[in-house]
Amino acid sequence: MSLFVEPRRTDPVSSSIATSSSSSQAPMLELNKITCGYQPEVPTVRDLSLHLQPGNILCLLGPSGCGKTTTLRAIAGFERISAGEIHLQGQVLASASFHLPPEQRRVGMVFQEYALFPHMSVEDNVAFGLYHWQPSDRKARVQNLLDLVGLQGLEHRFPHELSGGQQQRVAIARALAPKPLMLLLDEPFSNLDPDMTIKMRKELYRVLRQTQTTAILVTHDHEEAFAMADHVAVMQDGILVQCDTPEGIYQQPSCSFVAEFIGQANTIPGIINNGQIETEIGTFPNQSDFHSETHVLVMIRPIDIQFTPSESGSGRIESRQFQGSQTLYGIRLSSGQLIHCCMLPIPVYNIETSVIIHVTTSQHAIIFPQPALS
Amino acid sequence: MILPFLSILFAFTLLATEAFGVPELYAADSVVVYSGRAERLIKPVLDHFEQTTGTTVQLLTAGSTELVNRLRAEKARTPADVFITNEAGALELARSLHLLQPIALSEVATTIPEPFRAPDNSWIGLSGRIWMIVYNTNMVDPSTIHSLLDLSTPTWKGKLAIPTSNSEYLQAGASMVLASKGEKAATDFLLGIRDNAGNEVYGKNRQIVDAVAKGKVAVGIVNHYYIFRHLAKDPKAPIAPLITDQDEGGMGAIMNVAGIGLTAHAKHMSAANQLITFLMSPTGQEMFAHINKEYPVNPAVKADPELPPSSSFQASTIPLTRLAELRDPIIQEIQRLGLR
Amino acid sequence: MVRHTQLTPLSLVGVSIAALLTFPLLYVTYAAFTGDLSQAGNLWNTRLPELLTNTISLAMGVSLATLTLGVSTAWIITRYQFWGRAFWDWGFVLPLAIPSFVLAYVYTYLLDTAGPVEQTWQWLTNSEAHIPSPYSFTGALVVMTLNTFPYVYLLARAAFQNFNLSFEEAAQATGATRRETFWRVSLPLIRPALVASMFLVVLYVVSDFGAVSLLRFQTFTYAIYQQITGRFDYQSAALLSLLLVGFALVFLFAERWFRKQSRFYQTSGRVRTATPKPCSMTRVLAINLSFLVIFIAAFGLPVFLLIQWTLTAWTNGEVGTSFGTYIGNSVLLSATAATAALVLGTPLAYLASRIPSKLHVACLQGAYIGYVLPGPVAALALLMLFTDMIPILYGTIFVLILAYLIHYLPAGLQAMESALQQVNPNLEEAARNLGAKGIRTFMQITFPLVRKGFSAAWLLMFLLCMKELPATLLLRPIGFDTLAVRIWLEASEELYQLAAPPALLIVLLTIPAVFLLSKKNWQAG
Repeated sequence: MSLFVEPRRTDPVSSSIATSSSSSQAPMLELNKITCGYQPEVPTVRDLSLHLQPGNILCLLGPSGCGKTTTLRAIAGFERISAGEIHLQGQVLASASFHLPPEQRRVGMVFQEYALFPHMSVEDNVAFGLYHWQPSDRKARVQNLLDLVGLQGLEHRFPHELSGGQQQRVAIARALAPKPLMLLLDEPFSNLDPDMTIKMRKELYRVLRQTQTTAILVTHDHEEAFAMADHVAVMQDGILVQCDTPEGIYQQPSCSFVAEFIGQANTIPGIINNGQIETEIGTFPNQSDFHSETHVLVMIRPIDIQFTPSESGSGRIESRQFQGSQTLYGIRLSSGQLIHCCMLPIPVYNIETSVIIHVTTSQHAIIFPQPALS
Repeated sequence: MILPFLSILFAFTLLATEAFGVPELYAADSVVVYSGRAERLIKPVLDHFEQTTGTTVQLLTAGSTELVNRLRAEKARTPADVFITNEAGALELARSLHLLQPIALSEVATTIPEPFRAPDNSWIGLSGRIWMIVYNTNMVDPSTIHSLLDLSTPTWKGKLAIPTSNSEYLQAGASMVLASKGEKAATDFLLGIRDNAGNEVYGKNRQIVDAVAKGKVAVGIVNHYYIFRHLAKDPKAPIAPLITDQDEGGMGAIMNVAGIGLTAHAKHMSAANQLITFLMSPTGQEMFAHINKEYPVNPAVKADPELPPSSSFQASTIPLTRLAELRDPIIQEIQRLGLR
Repeated sequence: MVRHTQLTPLSLVGVSIAALLTFPLLYVTYAAFTGDLSQAGNLWNTRLPELLTNTISLAMGVSLATLTLGVSTAWIITRYQFWGRAFWDWGFVLPLAIPSFVLAYVYTYLLDTAGPVEQTWQWLTNSEAHIPSPYSFTGALVVMTLNTFPYVYLLARAAFQNFNLSFEEAAQATGATRRETFWRVSLPLIRPALVASMFLVVLYVVSDFGAVSLLRFQTFTYAIYQQITGRFDYQSAALLSLLLVGFALVFLFAERWFRKQSRFYQTSGRVRTATPKPCSMTRVLAINLSFLVIFIAAFGLPVFLLIQWTLTAWTNGEVGTSFGTYIGNSVLLSATAATAALVLGTPLAYLASRIPSKLHVACLQGAYIGYVLPGPVAALALLMLFTDMIPILYGTIFVLILAYLIHYLPAGLQAMESALQQVNPNLEEAARNLGAKGIRTFMQITFPLVRKGFSAAWLLMFLLCMKELPATLLLRPIGFDTLAVRIWLEASEELYQLAAPPALLIVLLTIPAVFLLSKKNWQAG
């Protein structure tokens, strides 16, 4: 078996990651070490740098309170930044000493609760940003957008008469109407039920691609990020931890936080010894930079762990959760650690069965240095 | 939605017409009167003047104190030509604040006796009123009271009604006591009536007379005409006037005048003089004084026969100009003693 | 959530408005302390003890009385089912439509020596016995209680209605009797509502002028008024005012503090509210009878008399064209003031709720100080200010409008604030995001959504201005009388019939607003 083990940087990423292609083109959006927050002593976002190519979709991913919404609002102009710079298509939007008001930035925003104007019809909502257009052009544009999002015929309805999904489409149409340079979306699906969410995700993706809109999506749901984004930027406590393609994030998380945030992961302590990493569930070749005697954490996905029942096994099944296409088992190891593994739904193994653990090779194991133990 | 905007429209109209004073006041051939004397007393006289002379009268009525304050604040901007009050103190005060100017009419010296006008003639009295005692005929034997100061003795505890400390007449009356009998007498007097009156302190003289008539109290101190007004309404009421301090060496009856002054910045001099002349004339005097049962100041005009004839009593000899001088100290004293 | 303070033009507007509203009070303070302070010594020895005793005892007496009356009526109405309940439910709110000075003047007529009540009593007892005079502490107590108990009633009723029954049931499960439960569980738990209404009542009593002046009961506010009208310098009035304002401010802070403290009274979890219990015939009779007495005393009899007098005045032809002028004056003045208040209050409310920096919140709080300034004090502040500094505007309508603004803007501000808070800030952000500048955002998005709340604020301020008395008496341009002023002038002369038409008019105008108010959610805290 071969496990791909790579040396990983464990400090936060502080410079931007270029995209694989079209890097010769000037970026649409550039965030240069921006810091912002409500209280100057405890900034919500610190030293964040990103850039985004035209036509791409970026996802800001992270737990609540990580600063992703603040970043979005800073780009939109609703928050001031205390350090760094924001450039849109080369023009300075904001810096420590300059702040372009939101109404002058050509950035569209879809709010978490849609913020549709309750006293205006769908038509008037969508047309709101087209104040300076000729009435005929305005009407045509509104029709265009309603067709685009699939809401033809609902021009005269009012927001309270629409379903959640319909409201979201109006919000998207409204934001796209004035042809913004970029679209910002703040947790757009958090108010929808799961079925609707999946449907709307596809819709949104289609619309964005069709209009070739550059977009930033804020979410706490990693599946969403993986489904929609060209690049994912993971944030924690105001700092950008890793920015990469979805595959890159999944396969090569830069630290345990990212690894655990984007999917189930088992982290098992191990120790490097004679070119091998010894762990409770097996020994793996050491292909990292770490020296002997270093304590490390090995990350293994549940899908890569299997077991066979055996009287002499050191692990014991503690829980079992049927998930449709697979069953997730919780195995208590002799050290007391609990790990999870995914097995086919059949056969069904009982709780308290003793098992032997096998680690399969379908994906990589990833190593992080273990924080100093007492 | 419409309502607020309509109101804004009203607001502008309102402000335009009223923010800078009532515009009619600046019309020519009219005289502007600031009157501390009640409207229903002065209006009939002014109406008659209007009809007979053709000069329009713009009348503004308020409290005398308010009007003095207003004149002070308005300074040269004031629309007022003349200032009519119910007692001389306010007129003297206005004069001392340089709010009045001398009336340049020759009739003044011949028509208005000297004690009843300012030394420089900036104001003249028009009718006299006596601050006297009203008593309930069923409850009081008038021969027991010789002086106003008697009412401050403990005998009258709970039986006396007095006006509030705000009352110009109380202030003027007490000033007279101060001038005649000195500080101690004035203080004793005020203290005494304060204690004796207790709760029976009224904002209006009329209420004092009512209280005496109902028997709520036995005596009260009021301007004389209130008594006669009440008797005119209800001839059977058990009340009667009492003029005191007539003995040898006594203070004399406390007399005050309602009068008129010419403002320092009068804009309609001839009309103002016309009005003053009218009010000094027998017709004017009769109307002004009789309407309220007061004593005409013009000696050529007879008083209402119902009133005690002016020859039958001795008025105080303290000049009215003293009233203004003594006003502040008296107000201080009244306040210090805590009269209501 | 505190955001950065940026001194935008709007901020400057807000600051200037707040300054305009608080400056007069600051001027009075300054003037009072730079004048002759020996006056203070005089005051302390003579009038002050009496004024303090009177004001405090009246406030406490009315508080106690309204508490008893308000809580008992609210309790009976929310907890018992009886014939006539629906009527009394809104009937007890009606007394709020009668201005205090109107109630006072009706009672001076009724209870005066040789008045109808005394005559009836003398006839009944066949004697010459005198009934207690209304011109006393008792008179003031009765009038103010009847006039303000609806505040307590409304708040207590809301508290009882939202009361979680589980508490009472828990108490009863431990063996407490119904009476014990009431005193030891129910009453304490609605304490925040009671305290809030107490504060309202005390503030109302302390700043009242109309009723106490007609009843000749010497309170601070009445004394201040007398000082202003009777003296040529405003020194003593200023000193008295400062005392009163100081007291009111302490009061305001105490109320805020107390409100914070009682946050924990809010119940969590499912709330089971009480269903009214039926009662026996005798009880129904007793309840209705006692309620009838209260209602007649507080509303029925006064309104009946007003109607009767108005009809007499009408048939005597005493209701002339000048009456129309008074109505016009009142309406124009109040409408202008209410509109100005709305316009000036909007930046303050907007800044404080959208950009709640320390500066903006301070501006809003500053505007609220006017709330505790009784009418005469606000008038005094302006009199001093304009006589000394801007005499050209002295005696104009402008000064009176300013007084109304200072005193009544806070009342409207509360309604405006809550209307603004109900508009999601996201909506305004969305509008700006779509390119709408500040003004357009406000006109097209914010304003249409707060219109209803702002209209309610306008209506409230309009009505308060219509009923205002002392400031109007002191500041009105000569010859400019409002309905309230006419009522007071006629009532002071005991010309009851002449005072009735304007009084009846004001009561009729106020009744719809009172209904609106009673429908509001009177949650305390």
